[in-house]
Amino acid sequence: MSPDVALPLLVGLPLGAAAVSLLLLGRPLVLQRTVSLVVLATMQVLSIVVVASVWDGSVVSVRVGAVDPAVGIVLAADPLGAIMLVVSSLMLWTVMVYAIGSQRTKEQAPAFHPLYLVLAAGVAASFLTADLFNLFVAFEVMLVASYVLITLGGSRDQVRHGMTYVVIGLLASTLFITAIGLVYAATGEVNLAALAVAMDQVPTGIRTALGLLLLVVFGVKAAIFPLFQWLPDSYPTAPSPVTALFAGLLTKVGVYAIIRTQTLLFPTGGEVSIALLVLAALTMTVGVVGAIAQNDIKRILSFHIVSQIGYMIFGLGLFTLAGIAGAVLYVVHHIVVKTTLFLVGGIVEERAGTGALDRLGGAMHTAPVLAVLFLLPALSLAGIPPFSGFVAKLSLAQSGFAAEQWVVTGVSLAVGLLTLFSMTKIWNGVFWGDPARAAVSLDREHVVAAPMTVATAILVTVSLAFVVAAGPLYDFSERAASVLLERGAYVQAVLR
Amino acid sequence: MAVVAVLVLHGLLALAAGLSGRRLGRRVLLLVACGPLAAVVLLVAHALGLLGSGALATSVSWVPSIGLQFDLVLDGFGILFWWLIAGIGLLVMVYATRYFAPRDDLGLFASMLVLFAGAMLLLTSTDNVLVLFVAWELTSITSYLLIGFDDHRAEARASALQALLVTGAGGLALLGGLLLVAGSAGTTSLTGILVVAPTDPAAQAGFALVVLGAATKSAQVPVHFWLPGAMSAPTPVSAYLHSATMVKAGIYVLARFAPAIGPVVGWWAPVVVGLGGVTMLLGGWRALRATDLKELLAYGTVSQLGFIVLLVGHGDPELVHAGATLLLAHALFKATLFLAVGVIDHQAGTRDLRRLTGIARRMPTTALALLVAAASMAGVIPLFGFIAKEAALESTLHVGFGGPAMTAVVVVGSVLTAAYALRLVWGSLATKGPDEVDDDVVEPREVARPAPGFEGPAVVLTILTVAFGVWVAPADALVVGATTALVGPEAADIHLRLWHGFGLPLLLSSVALVGGWVVWRWPGSVRRVAVVTARVPDMEDVYRGSLRGLLAWADRITAVVQPGSLPLYGAVVLSTVLLLPGVAVLRNLALPEGLVVAESGLQVAITAIVVGAAIGAARVRRRLSAVLLLGAVGYGMAVLFVVQGAPDLALTQLLVETLSLAMFVLVLRRLPERFESTPWRFGRPLRVVVSLGTGIFVAVFTLVAAAANRQGTAAADFLERSLPEGGGRNVVNVILTDFRALDTLGEITVLVVAAIGIALMVRTPVEPDERGEVGP
Repeated sequence: MSPDVALPLLVGLPLGAAAVSLLLLGRPLVLQRTVSLVVLATMQVLSIVVVASVWDGSVVSVRVGAVDPAVGIVLAADPLGAIMLVVSSLMLWTVMVYAIGSQRTKEQAPAFHPLYLVLAAGVAASFLTADLFNLFVAFEVMLVASYVLITLGGSRDQVRHGMTYVVIGLLASTLFITAIGLVYAATGEVNLAALAVAMDQVPTGIRTALGLLLLVVFGVKAAIFPLFQWLPDSYPTAPSPVTALFAGLLTKVGVYAIIRTQTLLFPTGGEVSIALLVLAALTMTVGVVGAIAQNDIKRILSFHIVSQIGYMIFGLGLFTLAGIAGAVLYVVHHIVVKTTLFLVGGIVEERAGTGALDRLGGAMHTAPVLAVLFLLPALSLAGIPPFSGFVAKLSLAQSGFAAEQWVVTGVSLAVGLLTLFSMTKIWNGVFWGDPARAAVSLDREHVVAAPMTVATAILVTVSLAFVVAAGPLYDFSERAASVLLERGAYVQAVLR
Repeated sequence: MAVVAVLVLHGLLALAAGLSGRRLGRRVLLLVACGPLAAVVLLVAHALGLLGSGALATSVSWVPSIGLQFDLVLDGFGILFWWLIAGIGLLVMVYATRYFAPRDDLGLFASMLVLFAGAMLLLTSTDNVLVLFVAWELTSITSYLLIGFDDHRAEARASALQALLVTGAGGLALLGGLLLVAGSAGTTSLTGILVVAPTDPAAQAGFALVVLGAATKSAQVPVHFWLPGAMSAPTPVSAYLHSATMVKAGIYVLARFAPAIGPVVGWWAPVVVGLGGVTMLLGGWRALRATDLKELLAYGTVSQLGFIVLLVGHGDPELVHAGATLLLAHALFKATLFLAVGVIDHQAGTRDLRRLTGIARRMPTTALALLVAAASMAGVIPLFGFIAKEAALESTLHVGFGGPAMTAVVVVGSVLTAAYALRLVWGSLATKGPDEVDDDVVEPREVARPAPGFEGPAVVLTILTVAFGVWVAPADALVVGATTALVGPEAADIHLRLWHGFGLPLLLSSVALVGGWVVWRWPGSVRRVAVVTARVPDMEDVYRGSLRGLLAWADRITAVVQPGSLPLYGAVVLSTVLLLPGVAVLRNLALPEGLVVAESGLQVAITAIVVGAAIGAARVRRRLSAVLLLGAVGYGMAVLFVVQGAPDLALTQLLVETLSLAMFVLVLRRLPERFESTPWRFGRPLRVVVSLGTGIFVAVFTLVAAAANRQGTAAADFLERSLPEGGGRNVVNVILTDFRALDTLGEITVLVVAAIGIALMVRTPVEPDERGEVGP
């Protein structure tokens, strides 16, 4: 299949399926489930087709409606966008499998499946669009679905914390559309490739201001310091599959947008680069410090999202080939591992009814499989070798030292130890100990349906596969970084 | 390839043990023993010359672009370590089958143990410093899980965490150090780095970090305290990880670096040797006061590790040779002592020397093994420990600068060693008088005799300790191989001898033994000094204090950055806008020429209404009023669009405004009627500043951005192409339905989803939250 078909299908298919799914409301749930699984699996296949076509470091594009790029919208996939699509599709279908198996998580709620598919379409569009305004639309599609999903079920607590998410999200969207207006005012373009050319004509100071504004806009989405505060407040209260998907995917769409816009539109780095490195160091630190202070699985994990976003921004802020390659690798690793850990947290909550560390204990003895499913990604998250997190962290630290950024690189290493510490906190609280003495235990009578465990196990397997395939994966990340830094291939593919 | 096969086998066995643990019971420990057994077979085959030249060197690629590849080379020093890891590993695994009662999670234990063995083998056979780090961290993690194996005991969990954090921090330093050094040398190959021996500031910082990392792993002062804590682990783990192998990983790294780096980096030798010396003395001192036999052994290990660091850290060939000898001797006698104490603990139910008496008669075999091993540790002729000590004294006496000081430290350290060896033998084996034991003493007749298989491994090691003393050739071959691998072929002439003749070393050895007996026999002096040293802060207290401090500090920081206040979060976002792009705009302020403020009075009037409604929305206390005033802002904007000649835009604005108003009202059902009052005094002024600032920022930025435009806009393209390509004269329509139809599709989706969201909120009854409250 050629990319000309695959790219539009990746957006159009889930969107169309969402409509079908909506029409199936009131019919047996199995129909909605089938539609969702078939479509999400197809997205996985399509995304692999796309990644195969850009594997050598090329860029493929297609004009939507065959309209000339001067007035129309172009979808394009470069190695970064393609790998993000592959990993995202993987998250989308595995989390769907998990949600179907879960009892407590509102998957049976009327609009769960249509909303989920809309979200999938928005995510795919975000990674594919080569148009700044269309990126805004894609974000909105993704976000509006997420607004409804996060409040699904609607307990009082959930709505209040959901409000934080929605309000800050809308604030960021307002700033985004403002930024697009300003970019258009300064250049007269919204096509990203055309902008890459036009932005060179804008005076340096204004360019820096626009770059920083877009950084703040996407920084809110990506939850970098000091714009992250909404995240640890709103994620833990949402239904587990929703939290897992959001944790793995949505903030990384923000990171993707930061990488895309900063490398394509503001490639010289300069003052933005310094800002990025300072923010990266603060994000890594504040996130992990917050995690240490928590006593609940999902809350610990939520703070870690923040901390790890810092690593990605760190790699980007170096503006070197190795740095950006490291950042890309880190994003890919993080999406898988983070989602997995939230899925494990969800299983614990589903089985024990709580994620509070001081109430749980001894799960290693009553649920040994779950213990392994937690331990492997947890070690990976903390950057312990030989897991994927180590390879990603190592490549970042190497490029940081090579760029002589001693402080931020040192911070990135030290944060690893604190991450490990907070992971042992979960291990110690939930998995070690005497199950008989815990307030609630994951006893054998409270088991979860097989799909939840299977979905989690699939993701753990994938993250282990990353270890084996780390060599080719890193080389691909390097090609992605090279496309981002050289810009020419992307601009040509979009404007051709 | 043989090396790879052995390593892979360890990984596979770890997997198999994890999966089949429950089915195999205690036999799972025998299953994993196949790993070390294979390594021993390899070593024997190599020693007999049965292997080809390429058998011990292989390269397997992993992530070559960042210098990560398994360059496996097993040289003489590696072979010495492999013998310790595999030989003692094999014995310990056999021993563990008797040590443990049947339990469910032995599979996990066996899995971690063989994984650890594999990691140690990898650590000592790779030439790639990054892979060395990989193995290093694997040993830390497996050690964590093994120390905490009895996880129902809070103390075991805390000790495991302590060991992990301390060695983890060391691992961090090691990684940073290796990256800096490798960066300076331009290679991740260990031999490559040693050939280049970089000395630039980054590399020097790197070496300092490497020393730090090695010191934590090998329990050097002041980070030695984790090792006595690690004694919460089951005794097989203490014997294997925390005396024979893992704690020597730091020594392994120091020994690799010292011969090449010691001569070119001025501070290296004094710092590393000093570290070892202080550790040797402090460890020995603390061992004299321990009452728990394992704690005594742990401090003894700290002391001996310091001794080895002192020897290998210098880099001088003769010292390195003595260090390698001591490494071997220590592994043999200390593992024996742990295994023997484990037997006593297992049979008597305690390892407190105040509660033990008459053990020697109950288990003479174990007692003999313990006695011989302790004698070897103290340096009694003709045991292998004596040979090592002689070699050490011989070499320190030959060192020029600092030699006398090193000799003095070794002699004093040896006095302490002899003293705690006596304390150990007396404490564990002797039949004591009633005033020498506690009231809850374990009567000898209550102590069951150990099974023969349980005592076997200690006996094997004891035989080696004796054998290497009287027949020194095999040990000599091993040690010479190790030394030449470290310092080069010139070390091939240094050999081990049992009898050096009547010289200064022998005299000093004797002094140490007599001194040790004196110190042990008259403990009053120990007590008097102990009163003084008790005032020195204990590093374990420092660790606990900093951990508590870290947690408290994390709590405070988190409370500050995460107060849970939505208005504050919004203010932070907007303040960031003002701080980052805002300042950038201010620094580049260039407004367009010929600025028109307003085109008509109507514009001014509507704007005034919009601004008024906006201010009102910010000031009212009732949520509903605020929402309505916000609506007024939106509708006002719609009118402004009409005036400006954009009816379709106005229509859209009206629709959106109505929809969001409806959504707001639905959400408000679940929120209190009024806004909560701001807790801080400066809240309101700050909000005013932030909102006004944001408004001004956007307005000014718009003007500045427009002024910066030198290329026109895409509007011309749209106007030109609308009719020929889109087939319509209404440009806006063509854009919405043709040119940028994807945007429109997306926006329609957004509206549909928003509508679904509203419908769901209207239809779902409000569920009670955790506290059982139901909203209004």
